[in-house]
Order: sequence, then structure tokens, then C-alpha cells
Amino acid sequence: MTDSPLYEVRNISKSYGSVIALDNVSLQVHAGEVLGLVGDNGAGKSTLVKALSGAHLPDSGEILLDGVPRRWKSPHDALESGIETLYQDSSLASHLSVASNVFLGREVLMPGILGRLGFLAQKKMDVEAHADLERVGIAVPASNRPVAQLSGGQRQAVAIGRAVSWARKVIILDEPTNHLGARQAKEVLQVIRAAKAKGLGVIFISHTLPHILEVTDRVVVLRLGQVVQDAPTSSFTVDTLLGTITGLIVAPPPPGA
Amino acid sequence: MPTNQETHSPETEHSGSPGHKSPPSVTARLAPIFSNQQTILLLVLVGMVILFSVLNPVFFSTDVFGNILLDWGPIALIAVAETFVVISGGIDLSVGATLGFSGVMAAYAMQAMTGAGLPDALTILLGTLAASAVGIGVGLINSLLINRAHLVPFIATLATLGAAGGMSIVLTGGAPIGNGPPSAIALSVPWLGPLSWPGIVVVVIVVITGLYLHKSRFGRYTYAIGSNPFAALAAGINVKRQITKIYALSGFLSGLAGMFLYLRLASGAPTSGAGNELDAIAAVVIGGVALSGGVGRMSGTVLGSLILATVTSGLIIIGVEPNWKQVVVAILIAAAVSLQALRSKGRTS
Repeated sequence: MTDSPLYEVRNISKSYGSVIALDNVSLQVHAGEVLGLVGDNGAGKSTLVKALSGAHLPDSGEILLDGVPRRWKSPHDALESGIETLYQDSSLASHLSVASNVFLGREVLMPGILGRLGFLAQKKMDVEAHADLERVGIAVPASNRPVAQLSGGQRQAVAIGRAVSWARKVIILDEPTNHLGARQAKEVLQVIRAAKAKGLGVIFISHTLPHILEVTDRVVVLRLGQVVQDAPTSSFTVDTLLGTITGLIVAPPPPGA
Repeated sequence: MPTNQETHSPETEHSGSPGHKSPPSVTARLAPIFSNQQTILLLVLVGMVILFSVLNPVFFSTDVFGNILLDWGPIALIAVAETFVVISGGIDLSVGATLGFSGVMAAYAMQAMTGAGLPDALTILLGTLAASAVGIGVGLINSLLINRAHLVPFIATLATLGAAGGMSIVLTGGAPIGNGPPSAIALSVPWLGPLSWPGIVVVVIVVITGLYLHKSRFGRYTYAIGSNPFAALAAGINVKRQITKIYALSGFLSGLAGMFLYLRLASGAPTSGAGNELDAIAAVVIGGVALSGGVGRMSGTVLGSLILATVTSGLIIIGVEPNWKQVVVAILIAAAVSLQALRSKGRTS
């Protein structure tokens, strides 16, 4: 793990009308680190994910990638910079095929004049999408099947596979083990370890605390829009983590806050 | 080349369909191009032609088919426009009014050019450009209302329907605008079997737009936005720009439809196109395009619009009161949509 953080937010806040969703939130993830992000419903996890992925612009605060301040105007900007996000509730277009989803927004065009006219190299994408998903190592459905025909687990596999195969710096996984059976959830944790080994910064959001304790290096606890704890995973048990999330255990303010 | 990925893909215990492990048959490969719904539509169309021909043998002639295709041309163009819009999850109610408005504006332009002594060919070419430009203009206004003013497409295009339709009447005082290039009307005489020059242009446009819908990135983004707008945005697609392009395309095709009608009537009539948005929507719905977005094929729209044009002419030729057309179309829409509902139910169960 290097000293300078790979991806960092400093003092970001976001309000929706009179509702303060994020209040002066700071966090960092290093290359080759898995950061767990936990919090009760309404703690601000999804808003934070949207700020990190470029889907929402925070009202104030800074976002830094490799120490350089960045301002995401759209998810496109963050994707271009190597930040992949798996949103909760599957960010797939269910009428499109598996391969079309894997390559959505990054379509491969045909060579020559046809490509210049915008025509797709669908066969190439079908083959490559299959290889990408196989490399990730989770249930691989046929490339040309519409996502709507897949099981919940297969859909999640496609979404994770897409995020992992495109991520160059940071991968944000919002509840990736939702809708999955025990065996598939284990596979997802394995995918997270592989992403860490590749040197990616991983932000892993989950309600399943044993998963958080099993795979993360550090845990940030959000409560009512604020970071209430930021500590190495080894300092938590399921009970103390749960206590911090619910507010039964009042943690000392994280250093630097 | 690995052409069949299914055979070596490890399926999980959750995958419920063992049937897709065998290599895809020829029909399975053709399925995306010519799905079940399209086969049914083709049978309905052929059945109608046979029925009308039996009831009145006059129906089965190049003349009648030529007329059907002349009726079909402008409806096909706005139905193609509607196909893109509806697949993207929107709706364009302004296609009919835009057809009429761009026809009128092109008629004014061509009247002036003919008065100035320009050759007919050049006048018609410039008139076509004028009609297209007016159509694109309406389309861009639609996209501004949707993207910037955050109106839902139904309301945005209802507004431009009213504006374009009203302006056509105000400008012309309700009278058709003629005195254009004298040889214009000759263009609409069928010469290639039942096809006229404008008809050939429509066929070419249908083929090109069909390829773009199904084989290009533009088409892919259209489906993606209709299927899941958030997924499209999260994948880095510029959704607003794509929506702008789709409504501009819709306006462009509606403008061309206005020019098509001008060539047929040798004048731009302000009320032409009024109500045609319902024909366009009927054509795409019969053709299997889902109003909820993300679903539909160009071949369905072509068959849907051909069925509409055939019903209209056929009922007249067999001597049925023409207003029965509305009833027949209504039945076709209900049948097509319930068929889709039944099929999608069968797929998910």
C-alpha cells in the first residue's frame, strides 16, 4: 500500500432541499486497498457513491484522483479516468444482450468506412465480452442473450464483470452481493480480492457485515450523513461494527476530523 | 473463431433454461431479424391482400398497389421516426403537424423559386432541403423542451403539434400553397412496378434507418436509453445529446414526409398530416414497438405501416364505408398489443 491515496474525497457535502445527505464527508482509498463503506439505510451511502462515480455533483468539497483535484460533470468523466461503479439495483439495460451491456458506452466499431459511419463490430464484442466475463470468473451467460432472460445472479455477474474488466484505477461496488446465493457471494468476494491484487482501489458497500470483515482492509462507517468511524478492519467485530452503525457505540471522532 | 459461446460456458445452478446449450439453429439465428411477431404481421398482410383481392379482383393490380405505396410513403416516414422515438422511451406527437408545416413552408419556397425562374429539378431539390430543415427545426425545439425545460415528451411534442399545426393554418389562411414546379407531380407516377421516385426514396430511407437502428452505435444508444436511462447515463452515454439527435431525426423524417405529400398533391396543404401522428403510433404499436421503450424492430414498423395503408385502400375498393377503417385499426392495435403481452408473459414464466 502506498502512502498517498489513490482516490480521495475531502469535506464533501450534499443536500437535497432541506435534507442533508452528506455532511462534510472525507475518505480515502489507496491502490491495492479494499475500503468497506457501511451505514444504515439513509446514512448517505448511495449519495456518496453517486458523488464518487460522477452521477451527482457534491455541493461543496473536493474530489482528488492521484492527488489531482477533479470535478466530475457526468459519470462519463469518471469512467474516462478509470473509475468504475456497480450501482445497487443493477445498472444494466435489460433489453440489451450481455455483450451489449458489457460494452455499453464503449462500443467497438467496425474497421474502415463502416466504423466511421457508426456501425458496430458486434461479433468482436460478443467474443470479447465472453472472455472478459470468464476472466472475472463468475457465472458466464451467453453473450448474445438479453439480460432480461438471465437470473438475478447472472445479471449481477454481468454487472460486476463489466465493472472489473473496465476498471483501471478504482472500482466502487454498491451492494454487489445482493440477490446472490452463498456460493455466488463467495465468488464476488474472490473477485474483490483479485481486483485488490491487481492494484485497484476497491470501495465495497454492503449490509452483510461478515463480508465486510472478511474482505476489507479498512472500514468507514457513515451515520446520518457523517463519517463516524474510519479504522482498520482488524479493530472491529460484527458486534462493534453493528454498534457503530446503529449509534449504540459512540466512536471517538476519526483523526483529522 | 468461437461462434458458439454457449457450449463451453459453465452455467450456474440458477440458470433456468437448459434449452440454449445446443448450437443455434438457422431459425434461431434468423430470430432477431425476423421474430415471431414479424411472421404473424406478414401473414396478416398477405391475408389482407388475398381477402381484398377475392372480394374485389380489381384490388390485385399494379395500379392499386402503386396507390397503396403512395399512401404508405409519408406514413412510413413518420412511423420510422416514431420507431426511434418510442424505442428511446419517448413519444413524438408532432410528426403529423410537422409534416403539414414543413410541406407548407417548402411550398412557399418552391413557389418563390418557380416564380424566379429556377429549373424544376433544382427547385425540388431545394424544396426538399427546406422541408427537411423545417422538420429538423421542430425536432430541435422538441429536444430543447425535453432536455432543458424538462417537459415529458408527450407534453413537449403536444405543444409543438399545436404550434406547427396552428402556424400552418395562420400562414396560409387554410388554403393549399401551389404554383410550384410544374413537373413536380409527374414524379409521383409509379414507374418501377408500383414504385414511384419518392416511393423508392422512402424504401431506401427505411433500409438505411433500419440498419442504423439495429447495427449502429446510434441505434444501440437509442435502445439503451429506452431500456434503462440511468444505466445509459452511468455507462457514460451522453443521454441528452442522444435524445436531441433522435428528435431531430424524427423532425427530419417528418419534413421529408411533408415533401413526399407535396410531390403527390403538387401543393402544400396546411391540414395535411393532421391526425397522422396517430397513424404513426398505430403503425409502430401494431409492428411490435413497446410504448414503454427498449423494444421494437424496424421490420415490424414497415409491416405495421403497410398493413395500415392496405386496410385503408382495401376497404374503399371492396366498397365498405371508409370510416370503418378506424374500427379495423383499433382492433389491430388491441390484437397486436395483447399478443405481445401474451408472448412476454410466456417468456418470463
